[in-house]
Amino acid sequence: MIRELLTRFRLFFLRKKPEELDEELRFHLGQATEARIAAGIAPEEARRQALVEFGGVERTREQCHQQRPGWWLGTVRQDVRYALRGFRRNPVFTVAVIATLAVGIGATTAVFSVVDRILFRPLPYAHGDRLVSVGLGQPLERQEFTLGGFFFEWRDNQKPFQSMTYEMGYGDCNLTENQPVHLHCISVAQNFVPTMGIPLQLGRNFTAEEDLPNGPRVAMITDGLWLRRFNRSPAVVNEQISIDGHLTRIVGVLPRDFEMPRLQPTDILQPAQVDIAAQHTVNSGIGYPMWAFARLNPGITVAQAKAAMQPLYLHTQQWIPPELRKEFQLQIRSLRDRQMYDAYAAAWVLFGAVLVVLLIACANVASLFSARGAARQRELAVRSALGASRGRLVRQTLTEAFLLALAGAAAGCVFAEILLRVFIAIAPTGVPLLASARLDPRIVFFTVLVSLICAALFGIVPALEKPRAIALAARQTRSGAHARIRRLLVATQISLSVVLLSGASLLVRSFWNLEQQNLGMQTHNVITVHVPLSWERYPSGFLDFYLRTEAALRRLPGVAAVGMTDSLPPIGGQGMRYPELRVVGRTPTPAGLGGTVGVRHVTPDYFRAFQIPIVNGPGFTDAERNSKDHFMILSRELAARMFPGEDPIGKQVEVAVFNPYLAPGPISTVVGVAANVKNAGLTGDDSPELYQLATNQPDTWSLHHFFVLDSSLPVSVVAPLIRSRIAQLDPTAPVEISTMTQTVSQLADRPRFETALLGFFAFCGLLMAAIGLYGVISFVATQRTQEIGIRMALGATRLDILRLIAGEGVRLILLGGLLGLGAALATAQLIKSLLFNVPPRDPLTYAAVTLLLAVVALIATLIPARAAMKVEPVVALRYE
Amino acid sequence: MPEPTDLLQGTLDLLILQTLAVGPMHGWGVAQRIQQVSQDVLQIGQGSLYPALHRLEYKGWIKADWGNSDNNRRAKFYSLTAVGRKQLATELESWERLSSAIALVLGRIAEAVS
Repeated sequence: MIRELLTRFRLFFLRKKPEELDEELRFHLGQATEARIAAGIAPEEARRQALVEFGGVERTREQCHQQRPGWWLGTVRQDVRYALRGFRRNPVFTVAVIATLAVGIGATTAVFSVVDRILFRPLPYAHGDRLVSVGLGQPLERQEFTLGGFFFEWRDNQKPFQSMTYEMGYGDCNLTENQPVHLHCISVAQNFVPTMGIPLQLGRNFTAEEDLPNGPRVAMITDGLWLRRFNRSPAVVNEQISIDGHLTRIVGVLPRDFEMPRLQPTDILQPAQVDIAAQHTVNSGIGYPMWAFARLNPGITVAQAKAAMQPLYLHTQQWIPPELRKEFQLQIRSLRDRQMYDAYAAAWVLFGAVLVVLLIACANVASLFSARGAARQRELAVRSALGASRGRLVRQTLTEAFLLALAGAAAGCVFAEILLRVFIAIAPTGVPLLASARLDPRIVFFTVLVSLICAALFGIVPALEKPRAIALAARQTRSGAHARIRRLLVATQISLSVVLLSGASLLVRSFWNLEQQNLGMQTHNVITVHVPLSWERYPSGFLDFYLRTEAALRRLPGVAAVGMTDSLPPIGGQGMRYPELRVVGRTPTPAGLGGTVGVRHVTPDYFRAFQIPIVNGPGFTDAERNSKDHFMILSRELAARMFPGEDPIGKQVEVAVFNPYLAPGPISTVVGVAANVKNAGLTGDDSPELYQLATNQPDTWSLHHFFVLDSSLPVSVVAPLIRSRIAQLDPTAPVEISTMTQTVSQLADRPRFETALLGFFAFCGLLMAAIGLYGVISFVATQRTQEIGIRMALGATRLDILRLIAGEGVRLILLGGLLGLGAALATAQLIKSLLFNVPPRDPLTYAAVTLLLAVVALIATLIPARAAMKVEPVVALRYE
Repeated sequence: MPEPTDLLQGTLDLLILQTLAVGPMHGWGVAQRIQQVSQDVLQIGQGSLYPALHRLEYKGWIKADWGNSDNNRRAKFYSLTAVGRKQLATELESWERLSSAIALVLGRIAEAVS
């Protein structure tokens, strides 16, 4: 038994010697001859009869060989060897296919990996798809928020949610122990961690008692802080740390992948300890701002939840001033939608672009294979005539396709990894979670599969066609069907690259507009300094420190002006509604009309530092800073709106208070009109702007104020001086120095990223389409060499030949170009949201794209056509 | 010469196994014996005999050893292995079941016709 097993084993691995079979068959033949001799037939005739009966030996030998289990593995090896030999003979084809596949797979995988993180990543919460964000939406703040005056009534009366929770945004706090550090502390509801479904690494959640007003000070820390500060020691639970001078007990450690639902940086969670009863009295009677999240009951959809919450919302509407009620609405959406709302458009455009690149790559591979298939038709016919079965031919072609696809996939993975690193390196911080994008094995698998299928499909077509006898006989291989498919593929590639190119050019133009636009201020020489002090260290306010810093900075060399502001353009400051501004002695604008107005608190030198011209009036003076009166400067747009045809200087304007809504507020004197400055980012629609003089009232200064310096020296020289001057005033004060050029450039990061990516894809697409076109034309030219020879012999000029060959390409370019333009115009609306000051059907862009495509495509056509033109008639006639 | 495909699928294997059950035999012998026993009805050409022998050998049902034939020439002798013997029993059984079933059906039809 064992011996038999061993024999089987041995036979499986060892090939039988072919001689053995030959000897066996020889013996058989000998016996047959002898049997006939014994029957009385003459030896010669006996041998002849035996041979006739015996039949062909080769077939038997082949069949015996095929009985061996796994014999086909040997043919695979044979196929692979054959394929590799073929590749070596035809390096251009091989490299073109592998490069095409690498670009296709690489770009697709990298972008899918990024887009997957943005659109489809699992949230780090248990059943994160059941989590929603609940709040008020309104024009000043599109991302929903809520207020204590609303939340608790919702929470206590709601039906659609398992539970509702909230967080109160991030506050600066300091770990005031040895080696003090600046931290992000976030106040959350007691049920925040269980509602979000966050599993703690260590310790426990807050108790209900700890969330009561004036309850014990406790905290949960993030994994990052646990590592940095405590080296992940398990003894950290119940340890006391000092936060802003208060001893706080650590009760739990958050998981490694913890993130806040609004993705803000976090080190510590603390119980909010909100006094619920006080929510209708604090903060002008509307309660503290907060961000609410809820877990849907099983089987409830977001729409159902919204319908169920609507009556509750209508009831709580009473807390909104009646004039404003129309502006607010209840907003409930999935947490993912909230996190990604402004990344969606870009993600989908990228997704679409990369799909188009993949399509072009597939078309390219297909047309390359098809061209090769046509060229090999005769070879296939010969092999078929020599006895290769159709299955064998198909297997051979498939082996080649798979080998190429595998090589392409390997190169593609490398390319994808490189590309992904480039993405992350150039990606703006505004694209959430991009930095943590990794190549996803599932996606790699998917794209490799797609390219394998694509290669297999197009590799197999030529082999499937029954090799025609005519292919053997005719001197000219016939490839009518192939040629048609190939032309169709090339036209498709050209049209797809027109779509890509148009999208990319629109983005480039949009980006150009963005970079070139007039911001209304100088950014080149402006240095910004931010000093986030802590209230604990300055209980009586920051004014004194700010004034002394201002004086110190003014003495720096090369600094022409030092202004202070509570916000930096071109981003808006606080917003107010137009009706809250009332010209004294005039009928106020009805509430709800007029949109919003941007407000900044600035010192007189703000305008000098940014070189914003005061076009009318004296502007702010240093003397006014010490006044108890209020002064304001209007932007030109706001002035024209409030005082059409009048001189606004000296007019009195009242800024109404919010609660009770539009009640009388402080009155300011208009002392100037400033030129318009962008104040809604680089791309937003600007609001009219109001500048209020920041006076020397300590309670109006916060830790969010900036110094703006107009410096003739570069920041590398000035920064150390600034640090040393501030350190002389307070050695513990943290100093953040930046330049306005950086700030503005960061705002353009996002469009730059989108433009670069789409541009890259368009380049890949165009390149591949050009390769495809080149391949087809040069193939056609080679195939028609003989024809060219005859034509020339009959008197055709070289120009005629050029026209003959290039005409083919020009027809394809025209067809593909027209189709592409149509498709591009049809899909242009899709990228509208990414464009700035460019209409999606900008004629100039489309003209440029058409021109670029025409030039590249013509070059791809003319190179092989010129080669055909130069063919010597004699050589051409003798061809083949 | 009857084409080997005229034989029912798998029948050739059964015939070879049955023939070898008598004792070790070379390929020529196997073919001759089947021809003799079947009174020249079944003629096995080398084109189907040797692939079948090799298939059975790879399956481990028969084994091959080199030896000398009656006329003292080197020949490859096939013999049944233990597994082959078991396989033969199984195949015989299923063959008998099949042939008796066919006989039953044909008998009924013959009755109905007569």
